[in-house]
Amino acid sequence: MNERIFWIILKRLRAPFLVLVVTFAISITGLILIPGVDNSGHVYHMTFFDAFYFVSYMASTIGFGEAPYTFTYPQRMWVSAIIYITVIGWFYGIGAIVAIMQDESLKKAINRNRFAKQVKSLKENFFIILGYNSVTKSIINRINNDDYRVVVLDKDEEKIDELMLEDFFPHVPAFVGEATSQQILKMAGIHQKNCKGIISLFKDETKNTQIATICKLLNKKVDIIVKVSSKQHLEHFRYIELNHVQNPFDIISKRIFYSITAPHIWLLEMWMHGHSLILRNRDRFPIGKYIICGYGQMGQAIEKGLKEAGVEYALYNINSKDYKKEKGTVVFGDHDDTQTLLNLGVKESACIIAATRDDLLNLTILNKAKSINPDIFTVARENSLNELNMFRAAKINKIYVLEQILADSTYSHLAKPLSEAFIREVRKKDEDWAKIIVQLLNNMTGMNPSYFETKIDMEHMYALTLELQKGTKITLANLRRSRENREDLLHIVYLLLKRGDEIFLMPDSQMDIEIGDELLIVADDENRDDFEYITNNIYELNYVLEYENQNIFLKQGGE
Amino acid sequence: MNMHKIVSGFFFIFAMTINFGFFYGDPTIIVEHSAFELFAAIIVNIVATVLKLGDKTQLGAVLLATSLVADIQLVASATIWTLAEYVFGGLNPESTTAIVSLAGGALLANIVSVILFISDTAKSKR
Repeated sequence: MNERIFWIILKRLRAPFLVLVVTFAISITGLILIPGVDNSGHVYHMTFFDAFYFVSYMASTIGFGEAPYTFTYPQRMWVSAIIYITVIGWFYGIGAIVAIMQDESLKKAINRNRFAKQVKSLKENFFIILGYNSVTKSIINRINNDDYRVVVLDKDEEKIDELMLEDFFPHVPAFVGEATSQQILKMAGIHQKNCKGIISLFKDETKNTQIATICKLLNKKVDIIVKVSSKQHLEHFRYIELNHVQNPFDIISKRIFYSITAPHIWLLEMWMHGHSLILRNRDRFPIGKYIICGYGQMGQAIEKGLKEAGVEYALYNINSKDYKKEKGTVVFGDHDDTQTLLNLGVKESACIIAATRDDLLNLTILNKAKSINPDIFTVARENSLNELNMFRAAKINKIYVLEQILADSTYSHLAKPLSEAFIREVRKKDEDWAKIIVQLLNNMTGMNPSYFETKIDMEHMYALTLELQKGTKITLANLRRSRENREDLLHIVYLLLKRGDEIFLMPDSQMDIEIGDELLIVADDENRDDFEYITNNIYELNYVLEYENQNIFLKQGGE
Repeated sequence: MNMHKIVSGFFFIFAMTINFGFFYGDPTIIVEHSAFELFAAIIVNIVATVLKLGDKTQLGAVLLATSLVADIQLVASATIWTLAEYVFGGLNPESTTAIVSLAGGALLANIVSVILFISDTAKSKR
């Protein structure tokens, strides 16, 4: 690659170099041939060195004056001719060289080189993100905090410039290029061992499919995360055995189902995405009749969720494009519209969901509904993150931001595999179970607990791994001792333990742990610190473990 | 017939012949070696080098390398001449021999370059 730039420069330099050499040669020869007069009046001829010296400073317009002696008129006539030749030649040469430096194709080649080098020098695991927008931006921000690196491709140069201005840390290598091109994907490091996955969340699903297929062919091991919602494409992915497909509408449909039938399961899922672990009344969907406005993909997803939950609903098939064409505006709420809402039964309904593709239309539908029935629960679909403030100000009860959902679920898949597994397992349980867990978590670890994922290995739990290698049997309960006073318990909850492909939800505290187990633990920062000390520091670990042994001896002595 | 081939061939061979013209003669007697000829040799050699720039082939790279060798030797020869003349107070047999033998080295490089060029031309089927 480097070679190519080198050759481009050399080839372009031919003409300016030739011009410089030829003009210099002519000027120097002339100066040598024309006789001059020295200070004492003798005839002399300039030597090559004199001529070269004079022409050099004349051509570059430095102009030290006539040297070595004042020129005669014939010399001056020749000099006035060659001034024009050499100065023009010189400027042309310099101009051409500067132009090469600014040349688009050269710049591109240099950028390409730099990008390829940056990607090659990535030591950490990284993901390739195709397309830069608000969704991928929020993913990048979060992944960058998690010891992963990111490489971005976008065919739009403006987007890449925007990314560069963000100044991500650690640096995000980015390059302008078509994501469907094999060569560019290769340059982005798809063949590299530490390339963990490709994320393609384009709106155009055919493109996503195309990319996924290419990536699958290029590297079988790499994880491919694509956004797809249409059935046809889903079929195709099943065929090429792609395991992770992001379907935001499917996620919404499931969320609606759970938030109506089992709000605590919904709460646990949302908590994994950063929601607080308290079920407020305003989060609960009301009981009663529902109205769905808009019957596109989103409307269908909502319908599916409501149907499964066994809720009665009315459908209003409103299409934002048709509405715009018909009325010439997206502000909903003239006389006909009001009548339509009344016909749908907005006065008796408990909830209205606006799910069209147009944010403003959604907002005005809900406002109108609220003015007719002030108690109605309002749910809006919001298409882009940019208008979130407007929706918040409108006091909508629930907002589904497609981009946010997509970013959240992609991020959990990438960086928090255990929390993803937790959500899957929780969904298999029932509402009562979830309620107990929520209460337990809030009691054990204080209100609004946070969680972290860790693994029993040398890197994360040094002391514990050493101890396990010796063959000591240690249970989860053994580790739950405060290091300040081992009589006390640490305020942590083991939420999930993953051993190979096996997953233990709320593992039994008497369970023996093994090297390689992955744990999802709920704890506040203080307790998390304590836990990490205990598992990493040999003395702390011994102190905590001795307590159990002591107890065993005491028990044995008592018997 | 290829215009580029004619021009570059002309300069490659011209560089060699003119270089030979300067080199030919008793290496200790400077009068047998014209300064004009050295100047012309340097100019023609540089032009030949520029013409070899940007040829991506294997042969192009070797040609460029030989040409650069010739340039350096000739410029060194001219530099020694200038130094001897202005800094060390006139030419002596030692500096004269150095000037001529440096040009001799350049001549070898030029010969290699021309041989490569001709063999490549002979190899081509058209």
